[in-house]
Amino acid sequence: MVENLAKFCPGCGHPIVLMMLHRVLKQNNLEAQTVLGLDIGCSLLAWNYLPVNTFQTHHGRVVPTMVGFKRARKNSLSVAYVGDGGAYAIGWQSLFHAALRDEPIMVIVVNNTVYGMTGGQTAPTTLSGQITPTSPCGFEGVSLHGPEILRQVANKNAYIARTAVNDPKQMLDFIGEAIAAQQAGHFSLVEFLSFCPTNWRTAGMGTLKKLEEMRLVYPVGEIT
Amino acid sequence: MLIKLLIAGDGGQGIQTMADVISQAAFMKDFFVSYIPNYGLEQRGGSSLAFIQISDRDVVYPKFSNPDILVVMSDDSRKRVSGYEHKSVKVIDIKDYLGILEKNSIESTSYNIFFLGVLAKVLGNNQIKLDEEIFVALEKKLGKKPNWEENKRIWDISTELKNEKTHSN
Amino acid sequence: MKKLMTGYEVVIQAALDADVESMFGYPITPTCEILSGWAASGKKYLQTEDEIAAGFGVCGAVLAGEKSFTVSSGPGHILLQDSFSMAEAMRLPAVLVIGQRGGPSSGTVIYSQQEVMLACFGGNGEGLRLVYSPASLSELYLLTRRAFNEAWKYRYPAVVLTDGYMLKTRQGVDLGKMEKMENIPSTSLLPDNKVVHWPNIYTAEEELNAVLEDNKKDYEKISSEIESCEKFGTDNAKVLLIAHGIVGAVARMAVEELQKKGVKVGLFRPITLRPFPKKELDKVCGWKGIKKAIVIESSFGQLARVVRDQLAPEIDVSFGYLQKPGLGIEVEEVVDFVKKLKI
Repeated sequence: MVENLAKFCPGCGHPIVLMMLHRVLKQNNLEAQTVLGLDIGCSLLAWNYLPVNTFQTHHGRVVPTMVGFKRARKNSLSVAYVGDGGAYAIGWQSLFHAALRDEPIMVIVVNNTVYGMTGGQTAPTTLSGQITPTSPCGFEGVSLHGPEILRQVANKNAYIARTAVNDPKQMLDFIGEAIAAQQAGHFSLVEFLSFCPTNWRTAGMGTLKKLEEMRLVYPVGEIT
Repeated sequence: MLIKLLIAGDGGQGIQTMADVISQAAFMKDFFVSYIPNYGLEQRGGSSLAFIQISDRDVVYPKFSNPDILVVMSDDSRKRVSGYEHKSVKVIDIKDYLGILEKNSIESTSYNIFFLGVLAKVLGNNQIKLDEEIFVALEKKLGKKPNWEENKRIWDISTELKNEKTHSN
Repeated sequence: MKKLMTGYEVVIQAALDADVESMFGYPITPTCEILSGWAASGKKYLQTEDEIAAGFGVCGAVLAGEKSFTVSSGPGHILLQDSFSMAEAMRLPAVLVIGQRGGPSSGTVIYSQQEVMLACFGGNGEGLRLVYSPASLSELYLLTRRAFNEAWKYRYPAVVLTDGYMLKTRQGVDLGKMEKMENIPSTSLLPDNKVVHWPNIYTAEEELNAVLEDNKKDYEKISSEIESCEKFGTDNAKVLLIAHGIVGAVARMAVEELQKKGVKVGLFRPITLRPFPKKELDKVCGWKGIKKAIVIESSFGQLARVVRDQLAPEIDVSFGYLQKPGLGIEVEEVVDFVKKLKI
């Protein structure tokens, strides 16, 4: 299935998300019409990973790019693949407006609470008290619930949900629904609670424990 | 006088620790030193490289394509630095030391300490005697850690080696 | 006293010594360590949602009379042109430290000299900014101190244009004498004793033109106090090397080696790119004995464009180029290049 050797860190959540996405695409014969746009962050490492057309864009700009692509090629399955920083910080404005306009793109947000590629700095989804290179005394900001806010402005037929990388059945389910929403002409977004043992400086059980902490702050499920 | 030293290993082998220690040692002895790690998209889990220069005058540029001494500490990194093996480079390769490492029960997590010792000897052969300073810098960095006695043992073994194995091209 | 320091530590130290009070930033390699180092310093720090907000945050702080700066690279540097244009229009002493990386687009996270155009002429203005290009860690310290001083003294935005290699290199640096530089204090741009009404958009073309002419006049008046360069071995040189930043340091060493072999080569190294040391450039290039001027840079000619533009039109020099965009240039390469010229 995987065409090239992965460059993700050992223990990263991205390969899990990508594998789930691919499984659904393959099962539904959608590989050929899917176009995968990537942000610049750890998501960029997926550029040669799946047997679908993939391109990198700019940090925070994958959503407007896929909006443009979809408008030019309506029969594509346009997927914007982005981290929590690209989605909720630098890319927030574009993401918000894509939801507001009900742009029929599918956004996959991989949320690991930090800016992974640059060394673990704070992100909009960092947890209260979390220590990072830019919150040496503990994060004091508000942890952003992106999907919940977007639900306020999205079309009622847009699909918005949150899941976690240690729930394969739910991941497959939600990905399927998100694709169906695009096929019906609507916006969809699925946030995946994911891990980053490299920047969290955790291993094994420590990593899973932190994921459970995230679940308490960011409840999984469909957001209606 | 300018010595260019390139150390290569897998991420996690402590390459940058070695580089930090050598830089401090050279600096302690009033040499001009320059050190830059490789950095980029593949920094996690990939090869870790350290470019170190020791000179008797200001070093103007932190990187180089033709090292005088090349230390290779893993198979993957050997591939990564194959382009750096120019004509007269002295290569210290882990594959030439596997026997010694096993004989002396040196764990892979301490390979960097061992090769620091080998490097100290090789630098000494190139008129840069830094044994004492490297040990001081090493102790400053790792002295309070739990396995310091073990690291000391490994340092003694590597610095007392009669014939350090290097090969040239 | 000499101390082992990494480039990013030098930047932070210079900003602290310059009495800078705040930084706005967004993580981008190779400048992240400046962010985390500053966040750990106890000084005011805000990680913004993007570089646009960071740049405007700096402008806001500066308007309030606070010394502030941001750091970035590549795609972030592009976004900073938005706020930097406002700083240019309103003559705000905003300071930017740029660690150049490969471009265009996300390029590499490592090194280049490809942001000269952005730093000097980015945005939709006329380049009325101060741009400094350090060639060593001690010069990085010195020029960062100067950037804050000169931005606040003369009221132009300033860029310290360094690169990823310099920010990540660790060397022995002696800041001793330089630490004692006097700081130009910040002043409130909204003074207490009067009410300020401050536009940056004008109704008629003539209004804008008048403002720009004034700003340009001031800029030219103060240029001689800011423009700096290094000339090494340029007397009687037949070949003139022109390079800046880390490549300038490499070129200097190449000149030393070549001179030892009897080659009559010299180096002209601009230390400020804006205002460009054009008087010295004209002097050096105007000498009749020059056979060739080689512009050496890690770009496809961004420095060359500035040099040719600044050179007095009546001076006729034959230019050659050693251009390696996004790649470092070693001393041996420069030496070989000059030798092959057979001048």
